[in-house]
Formats: sequence, C-alpha cells, structure tokens
Amino acid sequence: MSKDPWFRNRLIRDAIYHAIYDRMKVDPSIHLMGEGSHMKIYFDAPHILKEFPHRIITLPISEDANTNFAVGMALGGAKPIVDVITADFLYRTMDSICNTVPKEHFTSSPKTIIIRSEFMTASPTTGQRPEALFTHIPGLNVVVPSNPLDARGLMDTALETKAATLFFEDRMIEDKTTNPEDMDTHLDIIPLGKGKIRRKGHKLTTVSYALTLRMLDLLLERENLEYELIDLRSIYPVDYDLIVESVNRTGALLIVEPDVTYAGVGAEIASQISERCFKALRHPVKRLGAPRTTIPASRSLHDYMLPSEKRILEVAEELSK
Amino acid sequence: MNDLLTLYKRMVMVRLVENKLQEYCFRGEAGDLHFSKGQEAISVGVCAALKPTDYIVTHHRTIAHEIAKGAALHPLIAEILGKATGFNKGLAGEMHINNPAIRHLFSFQLVGTCVPVAVGLAYALRYYKKTDDVVAVFFGDACTSNGQFHEAMNIAKIRKVPLLLVCENNGLAGNIRKEYYLPTETVSERMDAYGIRAHAIDGNDVKKVMIATEIAVGGMRQWSAPYLLEMNTTRLCHHKQGQADVRSKEEIAKLAERDPLLVAERRMSVTEETKEKIWRDIEKEIDEVFAKVKEDPWPTWDSN
Repeated sequence: MSKDPWFRNRLIRDAIYHAIYDRMKVDPSIHLMGEGSHMKIYFDAPHILKEFPHRIITLPISEDANTNFAVGMALGGAKPIVDVITADFLYRTMDSICNTVPKEHFTSSPKTIIIRSEFMTASPTTGQRPEALFTHIPGLNVVVPSNPLDARGLMDTALETKAATLFFEDRMIEDKTTNPEDMDTHLDIIPLGKGKIRRKGHKLTTVSYALTLRMLDLLLERENLEYELIDLRSIYPVDYDLIVESVNRTGALLIVEPDVTYAGVGAEIASQISERCFKALRHPVKRLGAPRTTIPASRSLHDYMLPSEKRILEVAEELSK
Repeated sequence: MNDLLTLYKRMVMVRLVENKLQEYCFRGEAGDLHFSKGQEAISVGVCAALKPTDYIVTHHRTIAHEIAKGAALHPLIAEILGKATGFNKGLAGEMHINNPAIRHLFSFQLVGTCVPVAVGLAYALRYYKKTDDVVAVFFGDACTSNGQFHEAMNIAKIRKVPLLLVCENNGLAGNIRKEYYLPTETVSERMDAYGIRAHAIDGNDVKKVMIATEIAVGGMRQWSAPYLLEMNTTRLCHHKQGQADVRSKEEIAKLAERDPLLVAERRMSVTEETKEKIWRDIEKEIDEVFAKVKEDPWPTWDSN
C-alpha cells in the first residue's frame, strides 16, 4: 500500500474532474474557485484550465470570504464549486458554510453550490474528518464517495441539484481495481441519499463509507465472509430504507466509520436503526471508528486512529451469532 | 425624478414606517427590530443614484434600504411582521430580507457577511454575465473591524469588481463606542492598505449622498473597480428595540440637530403647511397598508 496519499487515489480525483469537465462543456455557469485553483487544476485537470481559463478563479488564503464570495456568485446566476482544499480548513469557513449558505437558501431559494474538500494523511490539523458536523446543519447535503465511479456520478448529480453539497474526497483510499476506461463508457446516475449494497450477505449488516468502507470491502473479500456491506455514499441524506430492509433480514448491525465515533455519523444511524428495527435486532447496534483523540503527527501512531482488522472481525463474529 | 422633494418624501416614508413598527415592538407584536432613524439620507440618496438594474446588498438594518430601492410596501411590512404574504413568506424577517424584484438580493444579520457576498455578486455580474450593472453594499463602520470585511476588500481590489462600498459611519458597534473597535480616525484611511479609493462625506445630506454616488458609480461602470464612500451619520434610535442606549438623552438630542430630515427641510423652501400635508398623506398611506397586513394570514409549515 502506497503511504503517499498523492498516489493513492488519483482515480477518485480524476473522476471528480471528469464529471466537472463534462458538465462545464454544456453548462457555462459552472465556475471553479478557491485557494490556488489555477495551480491545482493545472496539475489535476490541465484540459479544463486550457478550455475554460476564465471560469477558474484563484482566490487568496481567506477561506471564509471565499465561500461567501461563492454565495455571491450563485446570486449572480453562476454555479460555484469552491475548493477548500484540506478538510481541516473547513473550520475556517464554518460561518459561511453553516450560516450564509443554508440560511440564504432557506429565505430565498436553493441554488447549486458545491464545497469541495479532501481528507489527507494525518497530523493534528491535517487529517481531521469534520463531515459529521455538517450533517447536523439543515440545508446541507454531505457526500463522501468511496470509489471513482461513485465520485463521478455523485459530482454529476450535485452539479444538477439546486442545493448546497459538501463534497468530500477521501485521499486515504487506495484504489487499484477501477479501470480508468470505465469512466469514459459508464456514468452512474446516483441520486443524493441513495446507498449501495456492495456485498450481499446474511447474519450481519455492516454499514460504512469512504476509507473504512474500502477497508471492510477488502477485508470481507479476503476472509471470504458473507456479511452484507452497505456503502452510505451520502451521509446526509442517509438511505435509511436500504439499511432498515437489510437489518430486518440479518438481525444485526455493525457501523464502521473513519471518523471519531463520539456523536458521529454512526451514532445517528445506530439510534435510528435501534428505534426502527428494535424487534429484528438480536444484539445492540455496535459502532467502531476513531477514538476522540487529536491526530498525532508520527505515522507510527496512526494505526491507533482506526479500528484494527482483528477488532472488526472479532466484533462482527460476535454480532453474527 | 429625483428632486429634493421626492427624496425627502422617501425619507419621511422610512421614518414613519419605522415609527409605526416601533409601536408594534412596544406592544410585543413585533420582535426587536433594527431601525435606521437618522441614517435615512444614505439609503435614499444612494439608491436614487443607482439604475433600477443595479443591485444592493445590505446588513441587517434593511427597512430603509428596501423602501429606498422601491420595494412594494405591503409585502415589505408583511415580511417584517412575519406574515405569509411577505416577500419571503415570513421566513426571512427584517434581517434576512431578499427581494429580487428590486434587485436587493441579500441581507444578513451577521456583521461582515454582506461584504464578501457582494464582492462575489459584483464579480459574477461583470465577468460572467458581462453587464455594466454595479452593486452597492451597505455596512456600518463597526463592520470594518471584522475579518470578513478585510478578506473581501482584498478580493474586491484584486478582482476589480464594480462594487460601491457604502459605509454608514455612525460611530457605534451596536451599543459600543468607536474607541473600542476603530483604531483610526476614519474608515477611509483603512482603505489605503488595499489601494481602494475612498471619500468621506456628510451622510445626512441626501443631495450630497446622491451626487457623490452618481460620480462614483459612473466611473465604476466604465472601469470596474471598488470605491468606498464613508457616510458620516447619526443613529438617532437604539441599536435595536428593547435595548438600552449607551448614549445619554442629551447626546442623542445634540445629534438630532443633524437629522437628515431637518437638513433636507432647510434646503427646501416648503411651508410648514405643505410639510404637514406630506407627513399626513404618507402616514395615511402607511396606516392603510398596516391595516391590510393585520388581516393577512400567518405562514404555516404546510404553506412552505
């Protein structure tokens, strides 16, 4: 496994730009903006820079004003995709994301605004996963694809939806299985709030997204375990119909999340499923994820930040009884 | 026609609508509203110099701006009082009102937010829609101590947006005096740091406000650049209804000598009688609207 995230998930990033490029060709209102946008797009999607130079707006390191600027662009009829680079930087623009964007939409009408950001490798302020915070704010959709085809389909949907979408790119996912050519021939239409069953199974439903989804998929494949695996794809809205149907069949639920479990995405799902599927559940719903700890810089300490494969297998085995 | 009498009438309209709303506040039939008493010349003067196709973006003291830009009175009052017939179905209230019909697209309670949003809007109009419309953004002197303002100035200058920065300088941040938030004598001198041209004028003289705006906006339409007008003014009301004022009654009375309505009256040669008729007619018009709004339905969750 490559330790450098730059090389890990080129395909997810390529897929996102694939969707953006295709939509830009037919929709002149789409504008890309953010810190260092010209440079970033020069490296990641030079064809977009070449073809649409006037629709790329490099802004200063002023995250909060940049998002508010994007709101102004949307008021002027544009579809802004504002890049906040690393997810940790989102804290710098919480005011515009949580106050300006959804409240403007509520009092007038929703407009397409996409706020992009990525999960990186770790240090105290490079590698936080603040996605759960945004699921609490009315008026925001939150998307975290686990693979390139979903990334492309979801970006396409987000660009066609009159709503604010936080679009996360998990750069810690290693993906060597998707064939880049599939992206040219295949476009999944993925509505927001539709999960996907990645692996069919019985006795246990496992739910996850992004990095841990990928981990689980590989782990269950390798261990040849027949547990159901659901990819949330969007963590708001959540596809509860899909999870409820599955849990009613399997009678047990394990949520594995890449973020802090305390008051996280899994906490809400555990609560909802406990209420909705109480009679079907043989065991209490179980969550595994990161501890409520600041991320240390040293890579030797990072394994502690995610549940180990051993622990996942132990808990899954227990729940499947 | 934007002769002084027309502008005067518009200012009286703002004053009387706010007076009426104040009665609602005192009776507990409206929330703690934010008024512009004493600052009316700025919104009326600026909007008189704008074209109908130009945009305004404002802070939370929206009532004067709405009337100045030509909002229909009934849905405006309805919105402020939370009725379903308001511009935003009662969802926005006075502080978040938006009214595309008069191109007032955004107002926001949080101090500073309106400025970067206005920069984005001005950018989109000039460089995406390719129009020669301009945006006038209204904010207070207190806003210029907020990071949002400075981040926005940076982008406005770099991106050369057609943005008129209208600083309503009343020397107050809510209930806090200038010495606690403004380290410079004026707001204008802060603009040197960004290379944005600025000009300070008497914001209580509606004629001067209109002329200064006409000049600033004329150049902006041609060359597209931000420009700041520092309007020195006097807030003659409390920060919001139901809150005490840091200033003494004597201090406010002294400021009231500069009341923009008095300034306009001194410039015009109208008799007491004509003046009284103007006030009476406008009051009658307003009373009729308030009476109608009273009968309007409240919004429900189903109607939205």
